[in-house]
Amino acid sequence: MNVASRLPDSSAAALADRPRQSAKPPFLGFGLGLRHQHYDEILNGNPPIDWFEVISENYMLPGGQPLRTLDRICERYPVVMHGVSLSIASTAPPNFEYLQGLKDLARRVEPKWISDHLCWTGVHGKNLHDLLPIPYTREALDHVVSRVQLVQDFLGRAIVLENVSTYVQFNNSEMTEWEFLSELSHRAGCWLLFDINNVYVSAFNHGYDPLTFLNGIPADRVVQFHMAGHSHMGTHIIDTHDHPVCEDVWDLYVAALKRFGRVSTMIERDDNIPPLDELLVEVVRTREIAEKVLPTGKQAG
Amino acid sequence: MSEFARQQAEFQRGILSDDDTVLAEILDSPREKREALFGVYRYAYGSRLVEAMRNDHELLHLYLGDETFDEMGHAYVKAHPSEHPNLRWFSKSLPDFLKSAAPYSDHPVLSDLAALEKALNDAFDGAEGAVVELTDMAGFAPEAWSDLTFQLHPSASRLDVATNAAAIWLALKNDEAPPEATALDQPARLLIWRQDVTPMFRELSAEEAMMCDEAANGISFGVLCEMLATYDDPDGAAGRGAGYLHGWITAGLLTKVSVGA
Repeated sequence: MNVASRLPDSSAAALADRPRQSAKPPFLGFGLGLRHQHYDEILNGNPPIDWFEVISENYMLPGGQPLRTLDRICERYPVVMHGVSLSIASTAPPNFEYLQGLKDLARRVEPKWISDHLCWTGVHGKNLHDLLPIPYTREALDHVVSRVQLVQDFLGRAIVLENVSTYVQFNNSEMTEWEFLSELSHRAGCWLLFDINNVYVSAFNHGYDPLTFLNGIPADRVVQFHMAGHSHMGTHIIDTHDHPVCEDVWDLYVAALKRFGRVSTMIERDDNIPPLDELLVEVVRTREIAEKVLPTGKQAG
Repeated sequence: MSEFARQQAEFQRGILSDDDTVLAEILDSPREKREALFGVYRYAYGSRLVEAMRNDHELLHLYLGDETFDEMGHAYVKAHPSEHPNLRWFSKSLPDFLKSAAPYSDHPVLSDLAALEKALNDAFDGAEGAVVELTDMAGFAPEAWSDLTFQLHPSASRLDVATNAAAIWLALKNDEAPPEATALDQPARLLIWRQDVTPMFRELSAEEAMMCDEAANGISFGVLCEMLATYDDPDGAAGRGAGYLHGWITAGLLTKVSVGA
């Protein structure tokens, strides 16, 4: 596959404008993940939500009600696109068909930013539809840096990458996850989506202090927080996104605000979706805590 | 192959099969053995895909019940690993799978029911297209009508089923007990499309199905009427053709009418 032919102008002048110079995405306030169960309530009620995050793949479709609804949401609220299939850390060849679909959707939505996860979803033509873990090695880092640069060149914008919940660690890792994320962000010029629940889950699963993770992430690279719930299995935690945010994660949110400043924050519920009002209570809480911790309205970074 | 690529291939093989080779590269956690931790990925893989199938095939799920549906779902997951980044298309081969894989192939209604649900799903988020209105037809001079050709809405599709799957679908949709599955003497000819945002289907007569299929092939109205004349009373053919056309337009089924091909 001729990768160069898929990319925009790679002349020296064009490269000088590579996304690593992209301006930091704006602070959007306190948002919610858009789910189809709430379409009517949102469109009929204009609830006080600052912005919505949409799952990109849910709208990478030919047409019909999902896209029409998204158009209407975009008319009223700032929207960011959050994908689950970029598979940025996969050693499989880049999927340009997927990237073109993502780019086409971005042209329609004009999102404030596009995010996905530091993970891979499959190799050898298969897709496992899961956010799979990687070893934190120099080799993996070099690979992901070059892949992020390629994706950013294709999309013409810096992307935002999220730390995932992991259940295993590899014995050949050469650095911590936070060291990997820091270096990736600096070298590739991507921004970070700091999922506070995922930090909590991974820290419990691997036996480290979530604050060590938090303090290891460069404050100036974080542009978004995720807040979500999980399922505790006793010996490990599974990132199910089907419960309200737990108190420990709220505590970690306070610590994150102190370290990262005011960052666009959202409640992410993917399963066992409750009525919108229940999630609004959590959105309000993200706002109230931020205003209490950062009364001066200090900006991120 | 790089070390990283080798490791990913090993990890994937461990999820897709019972191959435990990858465990040698994974650490125990402070509280749990690596087998159990890797098992989280193994379990999530199958359950996530079967859950996606439940969402795509709500009525087939209702028809089969949890246990049988999930057993069927896991068999499908094994036979058709996902090759598309979007979960939306994962279950697209389910009708073919049910038609060919035992024991499901012994019950053709399952494949028909899955095919009908798939067609409705495809209509739901199929491509957009203009919708021809009855008033648009007034623009064509009477002498031009025999040369009119038609383009169906991009969301429209045709499906022939050999069983009473449509009646079963309707009963399940209405929370009623479904009739017993039976093979039909003649296949039921279904037309599926999206009207505004709502997926619809209806059964066509053999004559209307023929006209619909041939219209979609670009056959002009005049020729379509000649074909209708071979199905029933030749003198009423043009009237029946105009009647079918009227029904399609009011249902939002046509996206374009032109004079000539």
